[in-house]
Amino acid sequence: MSINSWISLILYVLAAPFIGGALTGFDRWLSARMQARRGPSILQSFYDVRKLWQKQNLVVRSSQNFYVVFFLIFVIFTGGLFFAGVDLLMVVFALTLAAIFFVLAAYKTSSPYSFVGAERELMQMMAYEPMVLLTAIGMYMVTKSFQVDAIARHSGLLVLVLPGVFLGFLFTLVIKFRKSPFDLSASHHAHQELVRGMTTEFSGRTLALIEIAHWYETVFLLGWVYLFFASLPWLGVLAALAVFLLMILVDNAFARLKWHALKSAWVVAAVLGFGNILILSAFKA
Amino acid sequence: MLGIKKSPWIIHYDASSCNGCDIEVLACLTPGFDVERLGVINTGDPKHADIFLVTGAVNPQSNTVIRNIYRQMPEPKVVVAVGTCACSGGIFRECYNISGGVDSTIPVDVYIAGCAARPEAIIDGVVQALGVLDQKWKDMQEFAADIDKVVYGKATKSNLPSILALEKIAYYRESELYGGGGDAGLPVETQTLVSLEADFDRMTCVKASINGKIVGSARGYVEAETAHILNISVHPYCQGEGIGQRLIEDLQKALLASTAKRFEIRLGHKSTQGAWLEKQTYRSIKTEVVTPTLSWVFYQKECVPPVH
Repeated sequence: MSINSWISLILYVLAAPFIGGALTGFDRWLSARMQARRGPSILQSFYDVRKLWQKQNLVVRSSQNFYVVFFLIFVIFTGGLFFAGVDLLMVVFALTLAAIFFVLAAYKTSSPYSFVGAERELMQMMAYEPMVLLTAIGMYMVTKSFQVDAIARHSGLLVLVLPGVFLGFLFTLVIKFRKSPFDLSASHHAHQELVRGMTTEFSGRTLALIEIAHWYETVFLLGWVYLFFASLPWLGVLAALAVFLLMILVDNAFARLKWHALKSAWVVAAVLGFGNILILSAFKA
Repeated sequence: MLGIKKSPWIIHYDASSCNGCDIEVLACLTPGFDVERLGVINTGDPKHADIFLVTGAVNPQSNTVIRNIYRQMPEPKVVVAVGTCACSGGIFRECYNISGGVDSTIPVDVYIAGCAARPEAIIDGVVQALGVLDQKWKDMQEFAADIDKVVYGKATKSNLPSILALEKIAYYRESELYGGGGDAGLPVETQTLVSLEADFDRMTCVKASINGKIVGSARGYVEAETAHILNISVHPYCQGEGIGQRLIEDLQKALLASTAKRFEIRLGHKSTQGAWLEKQTYRSIKTEVVTPTLSWVFYQKECVPPVH
């Protein structure tokens, strides 16, 4: 690893919670504005986590905390791998592992609501996983490398040759951010049948850790969006922010779907992702 | 702490309300009032909530749900009774199935009057609840920090209101074992300040306090040759720190001065405190059925006169 990868790794570990928290606060503020409300402060997610940190931690089974801690560690690990510029496939597997720890934590709490949430999360993982892998493969097809730093150094704009993959990746981002229409597993809002899905049984510090993990996850995923525009860094940052705005808009514009997530995500992966790569390989050959 | 006041998450439950207050609660979330600007989230999950908004009077069906939600909320937590029915039972107060306002089953911190309570009043109540929440959080911190500075002493008549409140909080979980709320729980839940004051003269009452706040109490009286010990209560924030142990020892010492030959304590038959009493060398002697759901188990121990 070069000195630059170390710097970006350390920057990620230190700065991601602040950026992610601010983005989440911005999300709530903008959502409120979209609904003609004043909305909370941008710093609201920090206030929330600070409060949760001071609350009593009610635990159903003590091992649930263990899984949540590992969820956080592996989310940081995933983003760390990514920003250190190592193998993209490794990043995908680490991401899956992190998500699995979260699902295990939800299963461990033995509540019907978190069970429903955990099962839906597994379905969603099945839904987005093929497209995430195709994204990695698409990037490899163009740059001839799975190394993130090699992809970032690629001279052309990846999004120009991988428009289908990019759109497909946006689709998976909606699932990954747990935004409507795909907020099936752990909705941000109180829904009767789900309560709070996977996070139902978590309180106090454990819930705060989950929130922090989501902040890290947000920054990592937006980092991946940046990778599509990496040859023009300013465009990359703008694109990542624009994608985040799009997510908020989609969240507010759509109602929740039921099981269409799985089918539609696979259709998107097959048509946009696989189609894009097919055309690409046809041209290369 | 600022962090708690800036992010109050609310859970709302309709005990038996006509939906008038509930609509006003939801109106607080709309663009007109938008409580989210204060950081409020209307969460459906008791484990995430800080403030428990209850509308409507309490009947036997909603009683169990209210207690269930209250029990699942992590400390510090605040209960707000929204609307006249929730405050006192309102026009339903005399109904055969209504046990009264929300405070007939769980401790209430803020009362919001009105039929229906106006959104402005609800927001005002929530802001006041934030003050209570903050105070509770400070108490938790203070009790935890000063747990080694507990002062023990005799309680006076002026302590009775705080002792009444303390006994109700301390016996909340114990009472829950028998159903809890109104007549279903332990008698400690339905006792009033009037009955406590009337009883005070024949009682010996000890207290434990941290920085002037009462966190533990126990009462006892002597009848014939038996010294009865009642309601050893320790605040939930300070349990498991040996305060109860010290209180029972102090009370025994105080009661020894009289003609008592033995100490007697009663526990509900489902109580888990029996083992603790046996550690204090008490032995269970008899069981007495009080109601179909509650029997008293009596524990006794002989007095050992002080060695001179």
